Amino acid sequence: MTAQTLTKDAPIAAVEKSALSIIDYSLAYKTANGLIPALQNIDLTIPKGKTVGLVGESGSGKSSMAWSIMRYLPSNAVETGGAIRLAGEELLDYTPYQMMDIRGRRMSMVFQDPSTSLNPTIKLGEQIAEVLMRHRGLTKAQAWAEAEAALGRTGITRPKEMLQRFPHEASGGEKQRVVIATAFACEPELIIFDEPTTALDILTARQILDLFNQLREETNVSALYISHDLGLVSRVVDRVSVIHKGIIVESGSVQEVFRRPKADYTRQLIGAVPDPDRWVGVDAPGEPKTLLRIDKVGVRYGAPTKLQAMFWPTDAETVGFWGAKDISIDVRKGELLGVVGESGSGKSTIAKVLAGLQDFEGKLDFDGKAITSRNAIDRAYRRRVQIVFQHPDASLNPRHRIGTIIARPLKLYGIVPKHEIKARVAELLEMVRLPASYADRLPHQLSGGEKQRVAIARAFAAEPELVICDEVTAALDVSVQAAVAELLVKLQRNTGAACVFITHDLNLIRQLAHRIAVMHHGKLVDFFDRVDARSVDRDPYAKALLDAVPVHAGEPEA
Amino acid sequence: MRNFFSTPTAIVGTALLSVVCFAAIFGPWIAPYDPQAFDPLNRLQGPSPAHWFGTDQFGRDLLSRILNGAPSTVTFGVGATLIGVGIGSIIGVVAGVSGGWADSTIMRILDGLLAVPDLLFTLLIVTIFGGGMEHAMLAVAIAFAPGMARIARSAVLSVRTRDYVRAAVARGESGFYIVGAEVLPNALSPIVVEATIRVSFAIMIGATLGFLGLGAQPPSTEWGLMVAEARQFMFRNPWCVAVPGLSIAIAALGFNLFGDALRDSLDPKRSHG
Amino acid sequence: MSWGYLIRRLLAVFMVLAIVTFAVFAITTMLPGNAAIMILGEYATPDAVAALEKQLHLDQSWYMQYYSWVSGILHGDFGTSLRLSLPVTQVVGEAFANSALLAATALVVVTITAIPLGALAAIKRGTAMDLGLGLFSYLGTALPEFVTATLLLVFFAAPQQGIFPAGGFVAPWESLAGFGAHVVLPAATLGLVLMAHISRQVRSEMSEVLHSDYIRAARLKGLTEKRVIRRHALPNSLAPAVAVISLDIGYLLGGIIVVEEIFAWPGLGRLLIYALENRDLPVIQAVTLLLATVYALSNLLSDIVIALLDPRVRYA
Repeated sequence: MTAQTLTKDAPIAAVEKSALSIIDYSLAYKTANGLIPALQNIDLTIPKGKTVGLVGESGSGKSSMAWSIMRYLPSNAVETGGAIRLAGEELLDYTPYQMMDIRGRRMSMVFQDPSTSLNPTIKLGEQIAEVLMRHRGLTKAQAWAEAEAALGRTGITRPKEMLQRFPHEASGGEKQRVVIATAFACEPELIIFDEPTTALDILTARQILDLFNQLREETNVSALYISHDLGLVSRVVDRVSVIHKGIIVESGSVQEVFRRPKADYTRQLIGAVPDPDRWVGVDAPGEPKTLLRIDKVGVRYGAPTKLQAMFWPTDAETVGFWGAKDISIDVRKGELLGVVGESGSGKSTIAKVLAGLQDFEGKLDFDGKAITSRNAIDRAYRRRVQIVFQHPDASLNPRHRIGTIIARPLKLYGIVPKHEIKARVAELLEMVRLPASYADRLPHQLSGGEKQRVAIARAFAAEPELVICDEVTAALDVSVQAAVAELLVKLQRNTGAACVFITHDLNLIRQLAHRIAVMHHGKLVDFFDRVDARSVDRDPYAKALLDAVPVHAGEPEA
Repeated sequence: MRNFFSTPTAIVGTALLSVVCFAAIFGPWIAPYDPQAFDPLNRLQGPSPAHWFGTDQFGRDLLSRILNGAPSTVTFGVGATLIGVGIGSIIGVVAGVSGGWADSTIMRILDGLLAVPDLLFTLLIVTIFGGGMEHAMLAVAIAFAPGMARIARSAVLSVRTRDYVRAAVARGESGFYIVGAEVLPNALSPIVVEATIRVSFAIMIGATLGFLGLGAQPPSTEWGLMVAEARQFMFRNPWCVAVPGLSIAIAALGFNLFGDALRDSLDPKRSHG
Repeated sequence: MSWGYLIRRLLAVFMVLAIVTFAVFAITTMLPGNAAIMILGEYATPDAVAALEKQLHLDQSWYMQYYSWVSGILHGDFGTSLRLSLPVTQVVGEAFANSALLAATALVVVTITAIPLGALAAIKRGTAMDLGLGLFSYLGTALPEFVTATLLLVFFAAPQQGIFPAGGFVAPWESLAGFGAHVVLPAATLGLVLMAHISRQVRSEMSEVLHSDYIRAARLKGLTEKRVIRRHALPNSLAPAVAVISLDIGYLLGGIIVVEEIFAWPGLGRLLIYALENRDLPVIQAVTLLLATVYALSNLLSDIVIALLDPRVRYA
């Protein structure tokens, strides 16, 4: 498809001049069950100085594509045909030894998680310098000096100091800058970015994205940008290819693909991208009635023991840190309250306090009853307040059948008589759109999205008045995320339960929440009604967060 | 547990274990000779059609003695491990579940006991109890308990922080339900794996005690004791030390390989490692 | 490495040793038989027994006995051997030196061979060399020392054509060659098990490291395989290997008991068995405490080495 498009608007020489061209490439993996195709008839061209996005969900084959280009395939990989050309040179013909010279020098890679892709026992400086010594034949002193300059270009303020640090002494953003500096160090023709911001916090991700755009302009490098996030990709690339089950289902300019998607799958993906301006939540409760209020709640991790407090009272003040401090929020009946923040902001700490999993200081007021410690939380409260966790793999006991899992709250709280439990479980499964036959299955036989539905069914089985959703969509694929969010809203509409929805996804929360609380470093920095999200009196941090999130480019202007 | 037999470790381990268990169950009945019958004319012979593994210093048939000793060897290993795992797991689970002050006290004591080498610990206890198979078994069991307690505790701790356990806590389940239905079943597999591997150590320590004269007493057919008794004659007929020695190794190897294979199949992450 | 870390670890070692003294004392006082009767013989007069009991503080309550024992240790006095009528410090001291020679020889030889072998097996996974090492290591872990020792004797120490002596000890400062000849078989016996264990651990650590993201990243930077292995992979699999070696020292200390007994090596193990047979309480206590101390200190040492190898641990 891409090849055709190109031949249409340029002579064949253009294909040869492009930085990377992949022509009719197929890859399969040899397994016990025979050959499993991973990539089929891939055509992809990256013109010189351009960035092409490759978008797909997990298992789509987008990572296999990166390994194929880098010629770093597992031993069970079988290439069943096609060509991969770097500036017209056929990479498939090169020996592993020749590839060693090309990797890092003519093409390089930026990885998803900088905390695992850097060697933990080697100083950051050496990890940049070694590439320069290897490929540009610099001496150690020259390489370190060059590394300092390279790191400086990524916007690190004191690069010389950073070079002397070990990975664990740097933040996620700093580490990713080191990885990027390494990738750019030898001025390669092509850089593959494999989800470079997925493991980072919102604001850091935004900075890395800006850095990417800046470096791209400065160096005129060609790049392949791999991501699952269509909205994000639309902000950084010139052309985009959508990959699904190893096949490129659509390619084109960003505008084209977004405005006039041809493939069903692309339409589905675009539909799943949360759009902050498209409201999908339940109607706001007519007359606001407070269900739960937390008053100056704080959680201190590593709090001093009684002994410490007795003997070293001055130390005791500084020991440990506040996971959350002085948080006061109220939740109204029937509403969806969004709590947003970056990792470590304390948003999950609040979820744990509400679910009675965490000792706290301060006061919790539920339906007119004051609770001042975790031990004072009784079973009645626990029935009325349910929690759904982030990782569906971890939140279901692997040894219990789905039926047993969902029936447990029914039995524990005596919600329905014994003989009706089975029927009620079937009803609940139906409610979360799973077949009743799933009751006999074990968790590992379900997909991630299905497991999360089971966890949600378990929570609603207790007929709660408040459901705490702790990043319930974060571990799921984009298209599944949208479905789970939609399901939650439907259940809320049917049962009238209130919901505290904790997330880092600002686009999603603006679609769902009536009110939004923003947390930062354990403190509540802002708390506003959804309609006021863009009003001028937003806290600067809240504003920065909202600005950092890429809203996809191709949407029709409203 | 899928594809358990996909690795050579599992196949060899299961095969060896089958042979050992077969000998342990049927050994005394299929032995061709009386294991205690002296035959002064055929002393210290090498393998022959009449005596497949040869004869010892009294002309007793080695194959028959090995087969006769198999039940007690396997019983010793399995018995000592079961008791040790039982005691250790209870301590470990109590420590892991209760946490806090009780946990750290128990762990400090265990650390102290673990600083004494296993064999030394066993020797001390055997000396307290006096020799003999039963006492040796109890001694090995007691020596195993601290190590098992530590493994059981860490298994419980790793399960305790899983989300499904936290979900149960958030639901307001009783502590009894949480431990019995959510924690224990999921903490069991590392304990079972470790126990299987430990049977091989128990067999080896049991044999060592027999060899040192602190376990089984003559004229028992315990394999370690057989090596000790035949040592004086080892240069005249190496078979009489090699046969019981290698039998111990095969029994230990069987449990060891089987345990390793079990671990790999229960933990998919390790199977690639 | 921060001083706080070191101090915390040191405190933990003292804690462990305090518990060990208590356990050792409890176990040894539980040993059957009255020490005074054991020394004087069954036909001793009650007066003589009572006198000796007083001399040995056996008439005191157990905590007074414990107190005087521990305070003795703190002053470097482990009491007097009941059988040998010599200061325990002297008896144990000599034996300790001999045992240390044997254990150190085995450990050094094993460490310098097992680590490269394990690493090589991980790099050349699935080759004949890897399989061979795997087989060897399984055999090594399944052979008790007394079997290995006996088999080694059969092969290498037969009376007529023996290559090595069947037992005994020559101090290296008397004759280095003599020491060498005598140390080979016992050290090989201990070494086989250690070698099996350490090489297997290094292999598994190394394979894990070789599958890590940062090794993939290093290769994708185009670094030569030599640099990837030597600079990136090996150092990171070394820290866990050190941890394993220190754990194996506990095993080694148990192993010397049997090996010394078989090869008539005049070390702690042999002394311990002699003391156990003769209920020589002060010697049993001293040897057990000494072995536990060595083990605890070797764990401390390994923690320090690991902290030096791995910058992440230093500030933990």
